[in-house]
Amino acid sequence: MPLKMHELRELIRLVDESQIEEFELENDGAKVVIKKGLSGQAEVMAPTAAPASVQAPQEPQPAPAAQPAPQPSAKAEAVAPAQGEAEEDDSRYHKIVSPMVGTFYRAPAPDADPYVQPGDRVDEKTVVCIVEAMKLMNEIEAEVRGEIVKVLVENGQLVEYGQPLFLVKPE
Amino acid sequence: MGNSIREGLVQLLIRHRENFLSGEEISQRLECSRTAVWKHIEELRKEGYQIEARPKSGYRLVYRPDRVAPEELQPHLSTRSFGQHFRYRAQVTSTQALAHEWAREGAPEGAVVIAEEQTEGRGRMGRSWHSPPRSGIWMSLILRPSLPLPLAPQLTLVASVALSRALKSETGLPVSIKWPNDLLVHGKKVCGILTELRGEQDQIQYIVLGMGINVNVTEEFFPKELKEKATSLAIEGKQTYSRPQLICSMLKELETWYNGYLTHGFEPIRILWEESAGMLGKMITARTPSGEKRGIAKGLDATGALLLETEEGILPVFSSYID
Repeated sequence: MPLKMHELRELIRLVDESQIEEFELENDGAKVVIKKGLSGQAEVMAPTAAPASVQAPQEPQPAPAAQPAPQPSAKAEAVAPAQGEAEEDDSRYHKIVSPMVGTFYRAPAPDADPYVQPGDRVDEKTVVCIVEAMKLMNEIEAEVRGEIVKVLVENGQLVEYGQPLFLVKPE
Repeated sequence: MGNSIREGLVQLLIRHRENFLSGEEISQRLECSRTAVWKHIEELRKEGYQIEARPKSGYRLVYRPDRVAPEELQPHLSTRSFGQHFRYRAQVTSTQALAHEWAREGAPEGAVVIAEEQTEGRGRMGRSWHSPPRSGIWMSLILRPSLPLPLAPQLTLVASVALSRALKSETGLPVSIKWPNDLLVHGKKVCGILTELRGEQDQIQYIVLGMGINVNVTEEFFPKELKEKATSLAIEGKQTYSRPQLICSMLKELETWYNGYLTHGFEPIRILWEESAGMLGKMITARTPSGEKRGIAKGLDATGALLLETEEGILPVFSSYID
């Protein structure tokens, strides 16, 4: 069983809270080494083996499309940015990430309009989506002021803990 | 203050319902004027209480309307924090909406919103919830747990365990849980739970746990399309039940299992949930937004996901509708 991202985080938390100075785990060819610095804080060394066996939530590797234009049409919600698009550093965008495992919903009801569309302006308190698990509905707020650039997941998709959901161009 | 006099008055009248209580004595006990006593008696009468007044003898409670106001609950309530702060309304759009408003204003943990009737009762994803007046329990509970946010969905399972215990002990009916947290009697739904969370990053600000219970709803009150799927405690038990008593039992169980969960973790809840689940070992269809999965319900994993044994192996289900 490859280590899931949430398991890795849990592991780091447990080591961090413990007296353990150094922790190694080899599992399916992947190796995780956690060493505490002098500050007592845990730091994670890069896995030495195939990163494929550590199932990190997919970071959107290619940069988002360069077009800055608002695209209010609902159809424009490209999910995985197509390969070969202009490589651009997406670190200048704020990522809204999922705080839990669950199903991603773009609208409050099946027949309702999405909370936000690419091009929409949001502030810290704007609700951008719902992540639902076991009938707990978590309304996610943007927590940043700016413009929605891209929706990274599809309505109804299962999302992981920490998975990016939206790219926001901060003001 | 007016409210606390009224609560005191109702409690006095309930305790002394066998005999008359003079206006003089009531005013002394409640430390208010006899005029105030009379005024509150009049108000109670307007709300459906029948209070007999006899010269020289005083007042006697003859009939209490079936209400779920704080003064009706207080005599039965044995919780420490759940239900100790209360907003009661004869009619609301939805108790969830009012609870969110109150939570944003800073309502404490355990605060409860309750209404006799909801005009726009809600289920999940904008579904409506049929909530006729005075025949059900339409209630929202505000929680502020110190819990890592990713674990919060487990609270819906905590709630289903607590409420199934309360309903079982108050009615004796065979209440079973359908994943994640519907409560059924004889295969039909009597209780739905909707949990809504507001948070910042990994931090829970508050959770509103909403519950709708069909208590004394009679058959003719159910819309046709619901009759196959929904029922009430009264229909199944062939008697009516006291809503105040049910509510107090629910709040007590919720408080007990919520605190137990925060202290001891999910494992005890997982075991109790599995004991009450009606679907384990059965072939079910889980309709998820990304398609249907058929398999045998095996139980819960350590996170609370439903384990489904399918042809592709055992799959955890985090969100779906179960048929």
